Amino acid sequence: MNLTFEIQSSIFANYSNNAFYISNKYYTYKDFSQIISNIRSTIKKSAKKTECFVGLITNDDIHTYASIIALWLEGKAYVPLNPEFPLDRNLSVIKQANIVTILDSSSEKTFSSFNSIMTKTLSDSEVDLTPVEISDNDFAYIFFTSGTTGTPKGVPITFGNLSGFIEAQWALNYTITENDRCLQMFELTFDLSVVSYLAPILKGACVYTIPKDEIKYSYIFELMEDHELTYSLMVPSILHYLRPYFDEINCPSMKFSLFCGEALPLDVTEEWSKCIPNATIANVYGPTECTIYCMDYTYKRNSENKTHNGVLTIGKNMLNTSTIIVDDDNNEVETGKEGELCLSGVQLTPGYWKNEKKNKQVFFDKHHNGKNTRFYRTGDLCCADKDGDVLYLGRVDFQAKIQGFRVELSEIEFHVKATLNKMNAVAVAFTNSIHNTEIGLVIESKPINTKELLDNLNEKLPKYMIPTQIKFADSFPLNSNGKTDRNKLTKLFTK
Amino acid sequence: METLTIKETISDVLESILEHNNFEMHDELTAKDVDGWDSLSHMIIITKIEEAFNIKFKLRDLNKLKNMGSLVSVIQNKI
Repeated sequence: MNLTFEIQSSIFANYSNNAFYISNKYYTYKDFSQIISNIRSTIKKSAKKTECFVGLITNDDIHTYASIIALWLEGKAYVPLNPEFPLDRNLSVIKQANIVTILDSSSEKTFSSFNSIMTKTLSDSEVDLTPVEISDNDFAYIFFTSGTTGTPKGVPITFGNLSGFIEAQWALNYTITENDRCLQMFELTFDLSVVSYLAPILKGACVYTIPKDEIKYSYIFELMEDHELTYSLMVPSILHYLRPYFDEINCPSMKFSLFCGEALPLDVTEEWSKCIPNATIANVYGPTECTIYCMDYTYKRNSENKTHNGVLTIGKNMLNTSTIIVDDDNNEVETGKEGELCLSGVQLTPGYWKNEKKNKQVFFDKHHNGKNTRFYRTGDLCCADKDGDVLYLGRVDFQAKIQGFRVELSEIEFHVKATLNKMNAVAVAFTNSIHNTEIGLVIESKPINTKELLDNLNEKLPKYMIPTQIKFADSFPLNSNGKTDRNKLTKLFTK
Repeated sequence: METLTIKETISDVLESILEHNNFEMHDELTAKDVDGWDSLSHMIIITKIEEAFNIKFKLRDLNKLKNMGSLVSVIQNKI
């Protein structure tokens, strides 16, 4: 598959169709192609040929989406930079990816000391969507996720990875056509956004986005009802927010409703299925390292679904991925036994950006199905049943998912300890009263004023990583191994 | 109910959940202006306001709550 050629041909084939609906305004594929071309011609003039990675300020507007396509047509990769993230964090990403040029659709430059291309104010140039030649090994994007040592770690994804994903996505037969209206609810710093704009563009469908100042879950509901959306990918936390209002929701137009990013409970799914009576519901799974998602389970209406602790199975690997479940020594465990889920295949990233130490920890080679195969350890504790369906049991480490975002609890602890001189602190993830995950912080001390601490964390970490509750303990409880008993500390927040 | 009384009740709810009162209850006040009023606490705040006034917001009402003024008028229409 040649991804950029397919983007070009889909745009021309659907020229008069709506491509985007953003903040109450439609943009056709013709409008889209003009903006792509304007940005592209400026990139050609302003960025060096050798510049591989270009920064992208993640605003919610047509220029930001056009910037991605413009970069890809030029064979360059984008690195999303959320302007609401702390400056320190963005600068760390910019430094790691060696970014010189930044595409910015804001009215004023977000970062003053870089070569900013202000994409909103460019004059029209000739429409040119013919892609430059690229190889499967060229990069399409780098997304930075939470890292254990206080520095975000970069996951580069190549055009080969992305093409492999798209091929596997089509093979699921959750069909999108030029008549579909598809939800894009994700921040562009989150890789689930990629399939949410790319799949519709490749089929000439219309992408519906969420303005940044709206409340996500209620806005999604209005889009679903007022615009009769037909296709959606969401994080399960949206369902927890919507659940008290399920009796107000009836969307017969919805054809496919996919979930990813967090555990999907069966009971909520059953209730949700009544709000979207004609839709196929699916639970998809995958880490950023294996390109968006790579496993899939189709929910069965009116018959038994496989679960563990009330959480739906993540099903089987998609077309281009193979999975094994292993013990600590990378040996496959017997069917039904628990172990760590490992992934391989064309969707797998070449490795973390400039982080050989981490690469050695989580990627390994193993003889599998007659050949030497490179695997990635997901950190997810799983077991497979006799049909090959995989059940998610929990994490093997201290990573949590907050509204789908990956959070290393140790990264929060790192910044807390850096602020609180010599005090011990533990960050835990707990489930709140509406079944969403929150972060709690326990400090080993008498109660202290935490304003300075929170101010400091806000300067270092994105909003979703800031603890929502803080408690104090005179001394931390220990478990039988003599380690801090995180389970006991977690219970401080769930009583 | 008087606008002033409604505002006082909302102010009490906010203070009890956010554990501070560093905000002024004018009509243009938005969640962004108030420390700790984010998407996570929003749901809890909405539920507590519903309890305090013994009302239930419709999902559609939630998108109309752009600032304190609109919150007060939506509540006024419900009680």
